[in-house]
Amino acid sequence: MDASEVEFLAEKEMVKIIPNFSLDKVFLIGGDLGPFNPGLPIDVPVWLALNLKQRQKCRIIPPEWMDVEKLEEMRDLERKEDMFTPVPSPYYMELTKLLLNHASDNIPKADEIRTLVKDIWDTRIAKLRLSADSFISQQEAYAKLDNLTLMEINTIRAFLLDTLNCMYKLRSNLQ
Amino acid sequence: MPCERKPMRYGHSEGHTEVCFDDTGRFIVTCGNDGDVRIWESLDDDDPKFITVGEKAYSLALKNGKLVTASSNNTVQIHTFPDGDPDGILTRFTTNATHVAFNSIGSRVAAGSSDFMVKVVEVSDSSQQKTLRGHEAPVLSVTFDPKDDFLASASCDGSVVVWNIEEQTQVISWPLLQKSNDVTNAKSLCRLAWQPGMGKFLAVPVETKVHLYERGSWDHVSTLSDDLLAQPINVVSWSPCERFLAAGCVGGLLTVWDVNSKLCVERQKHEKGFTVCSLAWHPSGSHIAYTDTEGCLGLLDGLGTSTADNNRTKVAAKNPAKDYDDLFDDDDDRLMDEGLSDTKSPAKKAVGWDDDDDDFLVPATGRVKNRGAFLDDENSLDTGSLKLGQDKLGDDDNDAGSSVAPAAAPVVPLRPVYEGPVPTPPQKAFQPGSTPAHLTHRFMMWNSVGIVRGYNDEQDNAIDVEFHDTAVHHAMHLTNSLGHTVADLSQEAVLLACPSTEELASKLQCLHFSSWDTNKEWMVDLPKGEDVRALCLGQGWAAVATSTLMIRLFSIGGVQRELFSLPGPVVCMAGHGEQLLVVYHRATGFDEEQALGVQLLQLSRKRRQLISGEPLPLSQKSYLSWLGFTAQGTPCYVDSDGVVRMLNRSLGNTWTPVCNTRETCKSKSDHYWVVGVHENPQQLRCIPCKGSRYPPTLPRPAVAILPFKLPLCQTTTEKGQMEEQFWRSVLFHDHYSFLSSSGYEIDEDAQNQSQKEQQELLMKMFALSCKLEREFRCVELAEMMTQNVVTLAIRYASRSRRMALAQRLSEIALEKSNQMQEEEQEEQEEEPEYSSTRRSSGYGHTDVTAGGRYSRRQNQQEEQEDEEERGEELMEEEDRQEMEPEEATETKKRVNPFAKEAGSPIKPSPTPIGKMGRANPFKVPGSGKMSASSGQPRVTNILDNMTSSKKSAQLSSSGGKPSKSPILKPLAPKPKTKTQSTLLQMAATKTANKKVQENTEQAANLQKQPDTPPPGPPADNSENKRPKTGFQLWLEENRKSILADNPDLEETDVIKEAMGRFRTLSAEERLSWTERAKGQSGDAADLKKRKRAEGGEGLESENEKAEADESSAKKKSSLDPSSKLSVFAFNQN
Repeated sequence: MDASEVEFLAEKEMVKIIPNFSLDKVFLIGGDLGPFNPGLPIDVPVWLALNLKQRQKCRIIPPEWMDVEKLEEMRDLERKEDMFTPVPSPYYMELTKLLLNHASDNIPKADEIRTLVKDIWDTRIAKLRLSADSFISQQEAYAKLDNLTLMEINTIRAFLLDTLNCMYKLRSNLQ
Repeated sequence: MPCERKPMRYGHSEGHTEVCFDDTGRFIVTCGNDGDVRIWESLDDDDPKFITVGEKAYSLALKNGKLVTASSNNTVQIHTFPDGDPDGILTRFTTNATHVAFNSIGSRVAAGSSDFMVKVVEVSDSSQQKTLRGHEAPVLSVTFDPKDDFLASASCDGSVVVWNIEEQTQVISWPLLQKSNDVTNAKSLCRLAWQPGMGKFLAVPVETKVHLYERGSWDHVSTLSDDLLAQPINVVSWSPCERFLAAGCVGGLLTVWDVNSKLCVERQKHEKGFTVCSLAWHPSGSHIAYTDTEGCLGLLDGLGTSTADNNRTKVAAKNPAKDYDDLFDDDDDRLMDEGLSDTKSPAKKAVGWDDDDDDFLVPATGRVKNRGAFLDDENSLDTGSLKLGQDKLGDDDNDAGSSVAPAAAPVVPLRPVYEGPVPTPPQKAFQPGSTPAHLTHRFMMWNSVGIVRGYNDEQDNAIDVEFHDTAVHHAMHLTNSLGHTVADLSQEAVLLACPSTEELASKLQCLHFSSWDTNKEWMVDLPKGEDVRALCLGQGWAAVATSTLMIRLFSIGGVQRELFSLPGPVVCMAGHGEQLLVVYHRATGFDEEQALGVQLLQLSRKRRQLISGEPLPLSQKSYLSWLGFTAQGTPCYVDSDGVVRMLNRSLGNTWTPVCNTRETCKSKSDHYWVVGVHENPQQLRCIPCKGSRYPPTLPRPAVAILPFKLPLCQTTTEKGQMEEQFWRSVLFHDHYSFLSSSGYEIDEDAQNQSQKEQQELLMKMFALSCKLEREFRCVELAEMMTQNVVTLAIRYASRSRRMALAQRLSEIALEKSNQMQEEEQEEQEEEPEYSSTRRSSGYGHTDVTAGGRYSRRQNQQEEQEDEEERGEELMEEEDRQEMEPEEATETKKRVNPFAKEAGSPIKPSPTPIGKMGRANPFKVPGSGKMSASSGQPRVTNILDNMTSSKKSAQLSSSGGKPSKSPILKPLAPKPKTKTQSTLLQMAATKTANKKVQENTEQAANLQKQPDTPPPGPPADNSENKRPKTGFQLWLEENRKSILADNPDLEETDVIKEAMGRFRTLSAEERLSWTERAKGQSGDAADLKKRKRAEGGEGLESENEKAEADESSAKKKSSLDPSSKLSVFAFNQN
């Protein structure tokens, strides 16, 4: 699984948009969408929101957590706690990236949000590395980590598995 | 001195607040527990500037652009005013300062603190401080002597002390107050006040009285009191004219005394009775601002008019006296004292005045005289409202009154408050969907089409137009060089208008972006002296209401159209399609109510007024906040209490509340700003505004959707819920009938859906009432049902073994069908007229389609009636032969083939051959529509119905023809009356009953053959499936005689004539005919079935023939009542 696949999964998340066109219900395999009324907020999957946005057919309303104050609070908590704190959305990183790349004009204080999410991400990845480090150095058999998102697991997976394999080999050679 | 108490408004969080005016009186400045100093341009200022001075602000003083505040960090700081930049710290205490005050010229500030000290600091140089020590408890308040020599302070130790500032010594100390240990525990804030100007008196609030001490002698010279004052006075303040002293007390009473007469001239009660903790006079003396301990700000207005009047009269009439006064003020303090003490008792006063008349030149008496005159003025001013006995005297004769009236005054305490209804200031004109004009960034219009935003700041004066649906038009950016203030937006145009200026007239500008020529803009100047107040756009027109109480209509291209006068100043307008809705001031409202009137005009080709100036109902003490139409064209409005009301056209144009937006608000200060109303789906589109009435332009607000809810009782119960749903459904689908009657296309599916929904709800309620053993209620519900649902209800009742109920229901069903029949007949009589009016308005091709639509609607109605009729038939049948329930529903679903035309107004005309050339309203849309609708499952079009009827006729024949074959022929020649044809339908649909019918068919057929050769086969065909009514039989028998009497009658006229004659028959006769009709439907024969099938085939072949040969002549011949077709059919038989 690579990052683009995780992003693909994230695109199924719902986001509110304000369409500027009118369209009846569309019937899709994944469920019905619409009807679209100009000026009336409606929930659609991210992939559709981005598509419409790129065609300038809608404005995206950022999710509630995508707000400077809330993210600051979250960042501070993340820094304070040793454990992973619950994240606002299981796809917070992906959504932030997607929405900020394509619809930064609809999101107030986009730059600050980008920095904050990056901060949270960095803190969490640092924690992840740290726990991986202690896991290995203490030669534990298993470890439990809560509140990790798919993207985070995905980032460390390749490295961790390879490393552990390698170490296993080294250890078994040692004996 | 009648004054007006403005409604309180929220200013600060709960706790101690203070208020003052700036030097010019332009701003009200308040501080409070939230640490902010707010600068209000007026009481209505919704967005006051604020300066944060600390965590809490205890006191403030303002002079010469310097704002001094005592804040919670134990400092006294300066901010510049009005910019609010910090300008240094004036002084510090070991604990917080409790009160700060400027001296009269603003050079020094005195501050009293909870650490028992009073400091006097030079504003320009804060190092020059004088500290006054001596109090033994926290200082409550401080005040400067206007001459700057002394300073008075009150303290929690119970003393009021006058200090000599220079020497920093106590001059005198009075133990007047109750002792307490802290400012918060003190009974009264004891805000002292020194008379401005000469500083003659120091006013000290002591319990419920105000003591006046004289400067210099420090004698207690007089006491101001009022009977109504029951609680301690917190704060006193002198008017700028030095004559009046205002006091605010713990219980919320505000009192104003005239110090000269020591009479209370004004009393006002705080609206909630909260403690008044600060009050300030406007520099003009016209109003008083006050704040309470709950953080609210209030204003007493209208003091100025009377005081100013008094001043003027005083100056004008008593100039010499005024001089004396001045003289007296300056030099003769002593004498004044005597005068005051003299006039302390009312009796003495009266005597004094008597003397005055004689002796005019003594300064003291001059003063008194003057005072008398003033009081006189006072009385005569108030008489209108006061109705006190004494006033009469004062009014009748000034001289006599001057001696009597004031004498009486103290005996009967003067009630200066006019207690009757107070007129409400009329609400200003506004554009629904706009935010206030004073904002620099605001919405000029937010409606279902788009948004118009106005920017008016230093760098930019512009208007942005944005469309919700970008398919309408792209967004526009306009420079607003004319200063437009009102706007409206529609699918066709943007309409803008600006008020007139000194040089320029009020202008109306229209950006007609949907115009197909190159000129997309026009502009109109209004006549001089006329200002645009409100405007709106409809479909193809624009309306402008002006300050001259006129409404001017323009076409959307800029042609001036009608203009008319309004009975009152406009409040707002709304347009939709061809409807114009105007709300105006009908009269003056009282006690915060608005008296609004509403007019609804139809600007279609047939102009008319639908609502002519009826009062607009508003919630109590509210004003109009939004006006508009639903997307479906029903007028709607919202008042400031958040109640949405909608026009109920089916209840005599009354207004029904459909939603209360305030119920969904979380906090009291939250509001919903309505931007649109939709009836289908039921949506109230609005923008939630936290803590305000309208949204800011940034961040861009998002629309939320609220559901509607009729305020019916007990909506928590199942019954209440269903009732609410039912009536809401009825109300919100009312627009269909309006739309169709005004010739718009309607969504029939949705309409049927809604009818179905309503009937389902009725049935549910019926079942519920049944369960609750409420049979009477069941019957009531059944009365609201349609015929076929009643039959269902009957079945339900009989199944649940409520025979009595079922019996009653069947009675209702009978009654209904009778009613229906009568209505139908009436309708038939009315109809020709109706259709002719419609036709006379003929607009060529479009009319035809409109006609088609219209007739379709008509059909629908018919259909329903027929359905009901059928239901009734079913019912009767049920008695005779237990009918299958499925059948009933089946029949319901089916469409009556012929009833349509029978009922439709246009039907009679096509019969004559010669008229075929004339537009048959069915025909024109028919040929086009047939192909279009051939694929549609639901048949709402008559022609479709025809097909289905034919199908049913062909049921037994092999392979029914597809519905696309032209079926005009069978339709046209129908000579039968409506009753007949309705029966036909029943036959067509009631296939299950066929067997029973068969006999009838035969009988009828047999009978018909000899009697009436003219009727066309289809009529015959279907007709013979049903038993005939008495009238039909009678008609058959008497047709000839009628024709003989009136040989030139056409078929329809014959029927009409026949109907008339039949009605004139006696009851018995009619009954006998009915009996005969019943008798005819007796036996069965399979034979008929075959015959009918063959007939159908014949028909079909005939149709094909017609199809091949499209000449109208041919059609005509085949349409002839005595057509070959029928012959052919019967021949086959």
